Amino acid sequence: MSRSPHTPLRTPLTRRQWLWEVGGGALGIGLAQLANAKPHFAPKAKRAIFIFLPGGISHIDTFDYKPALASNHGKETKGANTITPFFGKRGTVMRSPWEFSRHGKSGAWVSTMLPHLAGCVDDLTFIHSMVSRSNSHGPAMFQMSTGFVFQGFPSVGAWISYGLGSENENLPAFVVLPDPRGLPPGGVAHWGNGFLPAAHQGVIFGKQEEPIADIHPQAGVSEAAQAATYDLVTQLNEEHLRANPGEDALVARIRAYELAARMQLSAPEVTDVSGESEKTRASYGLNDPELRNYGYNCLLARRLLEKGVRVIQMYNGGHFGKPRINWDAHEDLVTNHGKLARVMDQPTAALIRDLKQRGMLDDTLIVWTTEFGRLPISEGLGEGGRDHNPEGYTSFLCGAGLKRGFHYGATDELGYKAEVNPTTVYDLHATALHLLGLDHTRLTYYHNGLQRRLTDVHGHVLTELLA
Amino acid sequence: MRRAHWALLVFPLFTLPLHAQDLFAERIRPLLEKRCASCHNPEAKMSGLDVTSRGGLLRGGKQGADLVPGKSAESRVYQFVAARKMPPTEALPTAETEALRQWIDAGAEWSGPASIHKQRARAGADWWALQPPQPQTVPAIDGFTNPIDAFLAHKLREKGLAFAPRAGERTLLRRLAFSMKGLPPSAAELSQPFPAALEAALASPQYGERWGRHWLDVARFGETDGGEHNNERFTAWKYRDWVIDALNRDMPYDEFVRQQVAGDVLYPGDPKATAATGFLVTGPWDSVTKQINKDKLMAMSIRQDELDDMVTATMASFMGLTVNCARCHDHKFDPIPTRDYYRLAAVFHGVTYGERAVATEDQKTQRKQLVEPIERELKTVRSDLAAIEDAPRARLLREKYLLFDRSRGEAARRLPVNPIWNRERLAPSTTKRLRMIITAHQGKLARIDRLEVMPASHVISNWTANAAASAESPAILEIELPAPWTVYEFIWSTDAARGSRDGMPKVYRIEASTDGQTWKEIGSSMDHDSDVEVLLPEVTPEELRASIPAGERARWQTLLAQRDKLDAQLRAIPALPSVHAAYPEPMRPAFVLHRGSISKPGEPAAPGALSAISAIDANLAGPDADDATRRTALARWLTDRRNPLLARVIVNRVWFWHFGNGIVNTPSDFGFNGDRPSHPELLDWLAAEFMSHGWSLKWLHRQILTSQAWQQSSQHNEKAFALDASNRWLWHMPLKRMDAEMLRDSILASAGNLNPERGGPSYLLQKKAAGGSYMHKALDNDSPEVWRRAVYRFVVRGGERIFLDSFDCPDPAVATPQRSVSNTPVQALTLLNNKFVLNQAKLLATQLEKSAADPVAAAYDRLFQRQPSTREREIATRFVTQHGLALYLRALWNTNEFVYVP
Repeated sequence: MSRSPHTPLRTPLTRRQWLWEVGGGALGIGLAQLANAKPHFAPKAKRAIFIFLPGGISHIDTFDYKPALASNHGKETKGANTITPFFGKRGTVMRSPWEFSRHGKSGAWVSTMLPHLAGCVDDLTFIHSMVSRSNSHGPAMFQMSTGFVFQGFPSVGAWISYGLGSENENLPAFVVLPDPRGLPPGGVAHWGNGFLPAAHQGVIFGKQEEPIADIHPQAGVSEAAQAATYDLVTQLNEEHLRANPGEDALVARIRAYELAARMQLSAPEVTDVSGESEKTRASYGLNDPELRNYGYNCLLARRLLEKGVRVIQMYNGGHFGKPRINWDAHEDLVTNHGKLARVMDQPTAALIRDLKQRGMLDDTLIVWTTEFGRLPISEGLGEGGRDHNPEGYTSFLCGAGLKRGFHYGATDELGYKAEVNPTTVYDLHATALHLLGLDHTRLTYYHNGLQRRLTDVHGHVLTELLA
Repeated sequence: MRRAHWALLVFPLFTLPLHAQDLFAERIRPLLEKRCASCHNPEAKMSGLDVTSRGGLLRGGKQGADLVPGKSAESRVYQFVAARKMPPTEALPTAETEALRQWIDAGAEWSGPASIHKQRARAGADWWALQPPQPQTVPAIDGFTNPIDAFLAHKLREKGLAFAPRAGERTLLRRLAFSMKGLPPSAAELSQPFPAALEAALASPQYGERWGRHWLDVARFGETDGGEHNNERFTAWKYRDWVIDALNRDMPYDEFVRQQVAGDVLYPGDPKATAATGFLVTGPWDSVTKQINKDKLMAMSIRQDELDDMVTATMASFMGLTVNCARCHDHKFDPIPTRDYYRLAAVFHGVTYGERAVATEDQKTQRKQLVEPIERELKTVRSDLAAIEDAPRARLLREKYLLFDRSRGEAARRLPVNPIWNRERLAPSTTKRLRMIITAHQGKLARIDRLEVMPASHVISNWTANAAASAESPAILEIELPAPWTVYEFIWSTDAARGSRDGMPKVYRIEASTDGQTWKEIGSSMDHDSDVEVLLPEVTPEELRASIPAGERARWQTLLAQRDKLDAQLRAIPALPSVHAAYPEPMRPAFVLHRGSISKPGEPAAPGALSAISAIDANLAGPDADDATRRTALARWLTDRRNPLLARVIVNRVWFWHFGNGIVNTPSDFGFNGDRPSHPELLDWLAAEFMSHGWSLKWLHRQILTSQAWQQSSQHNEKAFALDASNRWLWHMPLKRMDAEMLRDSILASAGNLNPERGGPSYLLQKKAAGGSYMHKALDNDSPEVWRRAVYRFVVRGGERIFLDSFDCPDPAVATPQRSVSNTPVQALTLLNNKFVLNQAKLLATQLEKSAADPVAAAYDRLFQRQPSTREREIATRFVTQHGLALYLRALWNTNEFVYVP
């Protein structure tokens, strides 16, 4: 499974691998040679999608109902219970501006901010006791994306790609669907391969016209010319190979061009949603100008998962500039979360329902998360925002191998600190890998002196969540 | 399990009446294994002692027997432990010390296997890489004059293998140009004999550009902070230029190391030597948590992360050791205790990240003398201008704001708060008493020159707060109406007439009360858009001109011209030079942190180096030493000729970059978890010779490039491949895929479009987007300005994807001692379809069609430095006729022949 420290790091293909992979012709050697490509044990989930909400969505205004916020509204936190904000001024306890009610057979509390997701609660598996290692966006987001608070480690998706490889060589194993409103700070580092081979880096699927960067020839290059170019390159490469026999890398590169030609055809097929029914399109919000972009991503995610893409990282919430277009509601919770929730709620719920109706929820894992929650107090006296809260927040999982309509962990009375079953990002990652058939302690890669892991030296599988 | 707990609660452990044999098995054996055996075993035998058998203990170490059965007080092993001298890193818990005493006093019974020594699972102080390089005899093998070949051939013969035949002259000259300069050879270079070409390549400035890029990978060189704000470091390029220049001048490697650790303090006043310390702080840096965070503990832990990056980079780059693994616990595989880690961190306590002025006092005074008179004059001109302009501008703005507000309608939020005209829409309330509570404002005191309460006009004039306001002590403007009104609107301003006085309230709320006791909020600054969300209308120069009284217009024009002239004069004075480099940080006491936790400081940590390298004193300085002393001492320690690693690590890096295989295949890890040397004798010989040749990297290149090993062909050999698929024994020269920079540079060079400009500020391929986003967007700026070598591009961390990223060009968040070479369809798509490639193809096609009699032959010459075969010509003609020369050239750049260095 793991790379022995004594094998050279850039081992070319062995003859045996070469015969098997090229001779067998089943797998692309370029990718297969670099992947671990087999689960450690029978997986529950074959594929996964991580939905990330940059900025920090408030748990106490969405899924973590705290009546004590209303009864203590306007009071200061004192003594040992004093709450230190990240950078804003300390305010007083602030009630949620949204009403809460119970939903589904499981009776989960959900606020009026998320009417659509409220209809899905019986399929969701909540963790109400998440804790983050940092109260600052950058490190906290890096931790959720890579397990480490520093930039530069392989992302969750890259580890999964490394661990399981691809099910469809015509599409990348790891796809990223950024929010069209902008990338999170740190940008590509959130889906980077770190020290894993570059084959495992997330590939951005963008707009319908150009799903992958450089997938189409530049304007003025005809289809015929492009096809002739592929032929010409292959022909010259084969001549060159005859003069340099036995070089596996040369063969692998010839194969990469074949795959590229196929990807050029299959990527636009998957991004073309015109064949989807009107009902489906409407359910994802494609007819609503505000919901359209994120809705398209959700629909595209389903199509990619159907086609065998192994792992998707999808974002809801834009960049960190001004005005705020992600969940970082420092000034005005009502407007900020109100606007963003309208975009996030319906398409996310549509994705969950669509996967369920297609039976895909049985072997697909959904992870819905953010970098931290928000404080029970206002940011400044009489102000309407909430500052960062790494001490307790909510994430949910959904799908394969999980107890549905289940709630794990809890924060304290005000929703400040995780009190019951505090759960780390490592635990969340270990559990996600476990559901995918990977043992987080055995999925390793040698780098600069260590067998590195997604979970570093931490992490426990949250067995209570498993069905 | 439960019972054991109960027992623990009832009796303190050391009084447990354990049977002697049980005592050994349950307490002593684990103690010896865990606490002592990693240094005192038959292999390491530190101080001559081996504790893994009873015999070893009875024999003792250099100072005599360590175990006297029945007499703990006379047993040295107990004396050392009881005096807390051993283990060196952490004293034993009392219970364990006590158990040891009991065991000895009870006769030191040993049960189970006679030796508890286990197959080595970690390195001790006797680890090969920590021993000084041994003098080597070059194997005497006929036909090999270069010792490198003798060492290699010796091993090859053992395996029944041999070098591949020498590569052809053209191949060698191409290999030379790509390896040493990172570019295809020119026609002139191809006509030289190899020895002359080698000297020319070493003397060319492109050598430093190519090999400097290799070093920048090791140094994790980047020009933005990374992280949330990802700010630019616009002067970080000076470190890059320093590296390139040092290599071109063949600066002795020990000096190269010294300057990067302590150049600023070794050569005060030399800006270049200061730039060299850019090495320490070129890694990613979390400016947000450091500068904005209110949580003190979190900020302290960020400081610890800064130090960690400096320690990690220094020790990995120069020493090939993963000292960073000892931050939370003793290194699990190498003899590096946590204490060493914190002593190394202490070396850097006076250093942080920042833009450091490198101006001399003279430069500063000179600049001040130039700047001050201009600034004085400018101040007068500005105030004269304001006297003319402010009133007409404010009048125009007021009209515009009114119109703008009306056009947005009542449903919209209020305009951004401004000094000239603000309208508050209030929740209608019938009241007599109102107040405006101001918690933040511009200037020293909050000020309102006019406030009008609607519906009927009640006006407050010229109100000024009597103290600066804050959330804790707000300024309150109280309004008492003549009678209870139903109030729904306020109009207010701070300086309606001129818009230039400060004191504008920024954050406020408006409250109403019917009884003067309870207050209700009826409006606030939150009802307004912020000025980044909505831009207020502005006055155009033409509008302003028209509204200035005719009599003043001439003077106004003159003043404007004066202002612009003075501004230009100021801009023309060059800024004082500065550089992103080691920046002074106030020294704080250093401690060994328990489990790496900032909240658990242990013993103080005086600056020190690695205790496992016994040949050099690891005590670098006293606990009170200043920054200069600390870093100078580390620089000396690193470059001491007795340091067993410095030379070995760099010769191995160079070897790795030449052959695609290292003698040690983990160039930044010579520890237990790293690779074992394939040719230890060769490594030692190279290291020793390298030092005795004045630490000259050019000497090393010459030695390697003149070897048969380097000059052999890449020919495949079935037998050798079966025995050694990874080419560890170097039976041929492997084909190497161009790295990202070489690929881009070579496309530009073969197209004849490489801009040869050297050094200086980096050109941008990505730029921080306007509008407050922290994203570095890829620029659409393909032009000669950015057709310089890739080593000169502005290296952004986590920026939007660019051409180079598809080809394993690392995002320098961490060091990249070896690049991965991946092979993906996305890579093929990039090289085929990226705009940059097609553009170069078109440019080259135009050029060849114009000037070359035989464009296909000319293309082969430029790209492959050879003539096309008849068959290749036929293929070319067919394609060019159908699809044109440009697309043909694009295809050639995609071939394996182009992207693989022979």
